[in-house]
Amino acid sequence: MRALGDIWRVLLGVGVFVGALLVWEIWAGAEESFLVPEASEVLTRAWESWPTSEFLTAVAGSLKRLAAGFVIGAAIGITLGLVMGTSRATRQALDPLVELARATPPIAIVPALVLTLGFGDSMRIALIAFGVCFPVLVNTLEGVRAVSPEARDTASMLHVGRVERVFRIYLPAALPSIFAGLRIALSIGLVMVVISEFAGEGGGLGHYILDQQGQFAYPEMYAGILFLGLLGYGLNVLFRLFERRVLAWHYGATGERNG
Amino acid sequence: MSETADHAQAVDSSAGTAEPVLRVSALGKRYSPQGHAALAGVTFDVEDGELLALVGPSGCGKTTLLRLLCGLMLPSEGTVLLHGRPVVRPPREAALVFQDYSRSLFPWLTVLRNVMFPLRRGHSRAWKIDRAEAVLKEMGLHGVARKYPWELSGGMQQRVAIARALVSRPEILLLDEPFASVDALTRAELQDVLLRVHRDVEGRRVTIVHVTHDIDEAVYLADRVLVLSPSPGRVAGSVEVGLPRPRTQTATRSSTHFLEVRNAIHDVISTRRSTIAGTSDKE
Amino acid sequence: MHARRLFQRVNVTGWLFVGLVVLLAELAIQVFELTDSVSPPSETLPALGEGIASGELSGALRITLGTYAGGLVLAIVVGVPVGVLIGSSRLLLDATFVVLEFLRPIPAVALIPLAFLFFGTGSEMRRYIVAYAAVWPILVNTLYGVRGSDRILHEVALASGVSRFGRLVRVTLPAALPSIATGIRVSASIGLLVAVTAEFFFGSGGIGAYMQRQQLAFKLPEMYAAVLLTALLGYTVNVVVRLAERRVIRWTGEERVNWP
Repeated sequence: MRALGDIWRVLLGVGVFVGALLVWEIWAGAEESFLVPEASEVLTRAWESWPTSEFLTAVAGSLKRLAAGFVIGAAIGITLGLVMGTSRATRQALDPLVELARATPPIAIVPALVLTLGFGDSMRIALIAFGVCFPVLVNTLEGVRAVSPEARDTASMLHVGRVERVFRIYLPAALPSIFAGLRIALSIGLVMVVISEFAGEGGGLGHYILDQQGQFAYPEMYAGILFLGLLGYGLNVLFRLFERRVLAWHYGATGERNG
Repeated sequence: MSETADHAQAVDSSAGTAEPVLRVSALGKRYSPQGHAALAGVTFDVEDGELLALVGPSGCGKTTLLRLLCGLMLPSEGTVLLHGRPVVRPPREAALVFQDYSRSLFPWLTVLRNVMFPLRRGHSRAWKIDRAEAVLKEMGLHGVARKYPWELSGGMQQRVAIARALVSRPEILLLDEPFASVDALTRAELQDVLLRVHRDVEGRRVTIVHVTHDIDEAVYLADRVLVLSPSPGRVAGSVEVGLPRPRTQTATRSSTHFLEVRNAIHDVISTRRSTIAGTSDKE
Repeated sequence: MHARRLFQRVNVTGWLFVGLVVLLAELAIQVFELTDSVSPPSETLPALGEGIASGELSGALRITLGTYAGGLVLAIVVGVPVGVLIGSSRLLLDATFVVLEFLRPIPAVALIPLAFLFFGTGSEMRRYIVAYAAVWPILVNTLYGVRGSDRILHEVALASGVSRFGRLVRVTLPAALPSIATGIRVSASIGLLVAVTAEFFFGSGGIGAYMQRQQLAFKLPEMYAAVLLTALLGYTVNVVVRLAERRVIRWTGEERVNWP
């Protein structure tokens, strides 16, 4: 196959994308179903509704809860991962419990959370934290287990104490793996945000989408979904930039992008 | 010679006594109760300031022996005595250099911080930096302090690993096939670096136990070569090298005596091999 | 032979610990009088038994499995061929790149209200949502599996005069199989999550809907029994998929696979 120059490749991708939009436009126009508004209508409504305080408050609320849940979930995941990674006894004891909890579709704990924490922010943040902590835990655990025997022996030879070992050797060594887990957790966290907002009261982007659907405001609903996708993409990009800075030593060492 | 687990105080051997630094007696290691023995009945001494090479084919337990010497593993039988005291955990006087430098150096630390790592307690930061930089300079590494290990060539990384081992002034340096992962030219360089380290670089003598599968390297470096035979690992023979120091890659390696020693070692190995290949009840 | 291997792998300590946690939970709930919001194991477990025996829970489970499997199969049937197609052609990859990157970040659950508009609350809606959620890991992993397959294998096939299609089927596909298997594993858990979520908010059948009903009726033991069953379902799916993946990987002899 003939290889295209870089610029042409990007143009091709964008062109196909625009083409898809045009197809949508034409088909939706022909269909005239109010369930499928035309691309142009969605974009117009997006332009109108996104800068409104109603929309932005919703987005801010979602981001705030995502941040809180992410931090809590990540902290729990990293801590447990470090403990389980360094202590065989703990790992054996907690393993089935963790596997069970991890495999549970988070929606299943929503009723329990609602009954114990109500419908408000704490329930939502708890749900987000629940979704976030497991990928982080698993990746932290794997990162710690993968520390080379040479590094472990060096630690023994240098009489690095158990606790000191965790922070000075295992944690930095596992950091690339932890970040991979954090990246996955970010996407999952966003999904949890949406689910938690379907369930509870108190605004947010997911709630907004549901609202618009309930009010038959379909272009606004599509616009909301569109924003959600862009938000997810943007967060991912930002996180990767952050990761690049923190793990500069790792990228150099492995010579390639990780993940 | 009877070995008693004695409670003698640690005597500073660098005062030049005849007492061997390391005494290994009837050392044996079995990884599982019914499994075959990796080592059996290994007995030898290491004199103060000696450079002892351990050679043997793969599977003869060289690495196991080294790990027992530095306390990373406990023996199934026998004892390792350091200054008369049994080794039950890594002694502070010993330092270890691994074959795989990329996995023993910490990739998230700069070269300088890697070398500083063993100096964790009791000194000011400035002192630690000075000390680390001094060792790096002795290793012939200039201007790499702020770089990360992966930015350096394999040979330089191994020098960093050796620097890290030397920074806390160990009495005993143990090396596990340290030059096996570099190319031949770099290997020659590093061999000479090791000779310099041994030859009293800091005003004191370092005892070195060097594990290698390369017989020529063993003869070039060592005062004495211990030959191990496999399955289970045993001392097949001990050959005094007796070559004059300082040694050079060109003159020393082409001397007649070098060849004689080398051949002697090969003989020990092949004798052992044919003994094993022959009747098994002789073992 | 299978049973023996299974027994060796069972983590006795861990499951004992689980038992301990259950006991502690029972104690804590009774002592602190939390029975208003949490149903103690002594009530939940019998409710679980009853629900299965009476067929209510097992019926709901069957429905969930139906939509879940249906959606997953759909995702595989669409995702693998498309992934192979795009992965084997640089041109197609460049062309579809922007569209795919645009669609991928949209969480499938956010599309549930949309799907509801088109398909109502039936199992069809849930199947499509599951398929949409599950197709992305499969597609992306297939794509990377195809692209990443060993150049040397390709060249050997070319040299031996195999047709383009033959090459695809006999070299590319098997080489990509480990990646595809990984993609299916990831999809399996995402798919289950989405299936139960869709049932919970918009469904009429399945475990998710059952859970929601019990919650509204405030019948806590039944609700928690459903939660437990869902957890066990997820766990079983996980175990099964992992075993299958390990089989596939061992079969293709591929050892340098990443376990994300």
